[in-house]
Amino acid sequence: MDFAFSPDQQLLKNSARAFLDEHMKPAAVRLLWEDPRGESETTWKEMAQHGWLGLSLPEAYGGSALGMIETAILLEEMGRAAAPGPYFPTVLAGRAIEEAGSDAQKKRWLSAIATGDARATVAFLDADLDWRPDATQTRADKTAKGWALTGTKRFVPWAHVADVLLVPARTREGLTLFLVDPSAARLTLEPTPVMDLATRLASVRLDTVPVAGDAVLGSPGQAGPLLASLLRRAALGAAAEMLGAARRCLDMAVAYAKVREQFGQPIGSFQAIRHKCAEMLLEVENSHAAVYYAAWALDAKADDGELAPSVAKAYVGDAARKVCGEAIQVHGGIGFTWEYDLHLYVKRAKALEAMYGDAEYHRELIVRRVAA
Amino acid sequence: MDLNPSPEDLAFRNRVRRWLEANVPEDDLKTLDARKAWHRRLYEAGYVGMLWPPEYGGWAATPMQQAIVQDEMARVGAPPPINGLGIGFIGPTIIVHGTDWQKQRYLKKMLTAEEIWCQLYSEPNAGSDLASLKTRAEDQGDHFLVNGQKIWTSSGPIADWGILLARTDAKAPKHKGISCVLLHMRQPGVEVRPLKQITGSSLFSEVFMTNARAEKRDLIGGLNQGWEIAQTTLGYERGAGSLGRVTRYAIAFTQLVRAAKELTRGGQRLVDDPVVRAKMGKIYAELEVQRYAALRALSALQKGESPGPASSITKLSYTEFEKRYYELALEILGPWGQLITAHEEFEEVDTSSGEPGTWATAFLWSRAGTIYSGSSEIQKNIIGERVLGLPKEVRADRLKA
Repeated sequence: MDFAFSPDQQLLKNSARAFLDEHMKPAAVRLLWEDPRGESETTWKEMAQHGWLGLSLPEAYGGSALGMIETAILLEEMGRAAAPGPYFPTVLAGRAIEEAGSDAQKKRWLSAIATGDARATVAFLDADLDWRPDATQTRADKTAKGWALTGTKRFVPWAHVADVLLVPARTREGLTLFLVDPSAARLTLEPTPVMDLATRLASVRLDTVPVAGDAVLGSPGQAGPLLASLLRRAALGAAAEMLGAARRCLDMAVAYAKVREQFGQPIGSFQAIRHKCAEMLLEVENSHAAVYYAAWALDAKADDGELAPSVAKAYVGDAARKVCGEAIQVHGGIGFTWEYDLHLYVKRAKALEAMYGDAEYHRELIVRRVAA
Repeated sequence: MDLNPSPEDLAFRNRVRRWLEANVPEDDLKTLDARKAWHRRLYEAGYVGMLWPPEYGGWAATPMQQAIVQDEMARVGAPPPINGLGIGFIGPTIIVHGTDWQKQRYLKKMLTAEEIWCQLYSEPNAGSDLASLKTRAEDQGDHFLVNGQKIWTSSGPIADWGILLARTDAKAPKHKGISCVLLHMRQPGVEVRPLKQITGSSLFSEVFMTNARAEKRDLIGGLNQGWEIAQTTLGYERGAGSLGRVTRYAIAFTQLVRAAKELTRGGQRLVDDPVVRAKMGKIYAELEVQRYAALRALSALQKGESPGPASSITKLSYTEFEKRYYELALEILGPWGQLITAHEEFEEVDTSSGEPGTWATAFLWSRAGTIYSGSSEIQKNIIGERVLGLPKEVRADRLKA
């Protein structure tokens, strides 16, 4: 039993930290905030060269076949840097294609994802904001050439740069997952700006959008379990990013409390501040345990592999909210300014709190398992 | 990173499970003799003093093995060994700082619970500020004459020996004039008065020392080195009980689920009420995180990494969680959570003290954890100063020193 990272995992963490420290300094993140596209093509390609885009994809498609632990390590570092970009949605979509796709679909998309030539995303959420796959209302009707999709998907991450959208829709057979070309006819994207300017979301309106017959991922009516499994990974990935953002906020708060003086003393010498920082560390360390336990449980297919991601999302969501909020408080007025970098990380964590099921949603999933 | 138990640990767990199935007493242990006899069987099976070196009667087991034993005992509700303070903390202090004579005289009888030990540290006016203690130990040549009062002494009435912190130099700065000495409890100058707690039971006591005698040969370390000794050994063996503790929480949670299914409000089972479900989900998520964190701490201990001040995070984490746990449980159960006598099986729950009780007693006991062994506020000071490296606070007693 070993909870520490292996030497390879530590190496991955260190190189991600070094890369992001260099390429995703707060100033670089701020430039991307202002950028219409919101991401850097150069950085994306360099991440591909590092092997990060294919990290968890099969080697046959240029991937490294690593697991959720390694993915969480990268995501934690990205959260720590508040790095903008479609990394996580692309990884999620790649996972779905790998799990359920035909050979042709895998050939078309997985290598392109690994080389950085394709971006992808998953449109989980319908208009009524229910994360349960069963609640999907978007409809797919059989046509002569394939299918026609109708409905509205909300808060779809990085849809505006995606080369393919994974869209769950209801067919006569049941819940079905479609690969949809964002440039298809009668598909409109409308950006939904949110307070984290590094998180780009869009509404996707589908008005009888034509989709080819071979664009179904897996078999019609069989997407339920795949979507549930994807959502678990999504929840865990969000928890890993929130962990990184929260640790950054804690580090900034502690560093500030050591140098900021009031009443002739560094404010960190006052128990009112020191005790807050101690509580923040407690939450961050517990979050670390929650994220990496769940990542291991998924990789190892442990008995609680389906429960642990919900535990992580519920716990880390609450923890990050507290840690990031208290970091502003410890900083005082400077922490409330646009100029100071703290809000980059506060907003990143806040954006993820609500995604892929919030804490209340995952607590209900937990209770269904343990109090059935 | 691999959280699967090793084949050796799995085999060990199976062995412990089989031993407990064959040996756990069926009836409650009502007398001290019965508890000592059970302790002795646990010791002979290799399940007490597991981390102690073999030369002092220990078993040189791994932290993981020790955690497994405590976990399996919690799983079947086995009565705990006695002398926990002696074996967990006083014995190791003697091993590190004691003389050969002290080791020969005290350690084996401590392990086998032939002699029960208590800790004589806190005083009515020296709690978190332990170094301001007033109990005096005056040098009388071959012995010390001890006068003063101690409080919050667990096992006081049954203790044969105590480890005492007392002032041996009244003129020195407060941290520099304290010595650590072993005190025989069975003497006329030592009076133990049980303290009744808010739970109604009396696990703590006050100890009054009036011209009591402590032998010079029982001084631990050098004269006036008591504070350093108390500081260096406070963290010993933290983490060993972590898995068993989480298992007790989990057993209590299954009781909570049973209760929420049995009890109804407004014509629906509590477990079907979304507000109740949200609270149960919060408890369970936190409980699981306690388990993950326990595994993480154990993994570090296994590798010989000393948790040091980081063990303050663990203590702060589980004691504060336990308060939230039982507060939420009592919210869920309403007046049902306040019963002090269990009539139905779902009303019974183990408390953090090890005593069986009801939800009400578990709730009351949860208030103790954030006070004893260094209150949450003291733990946060330690975390702030020694883990995060925040500047020390300006304190009146430090200015004077």
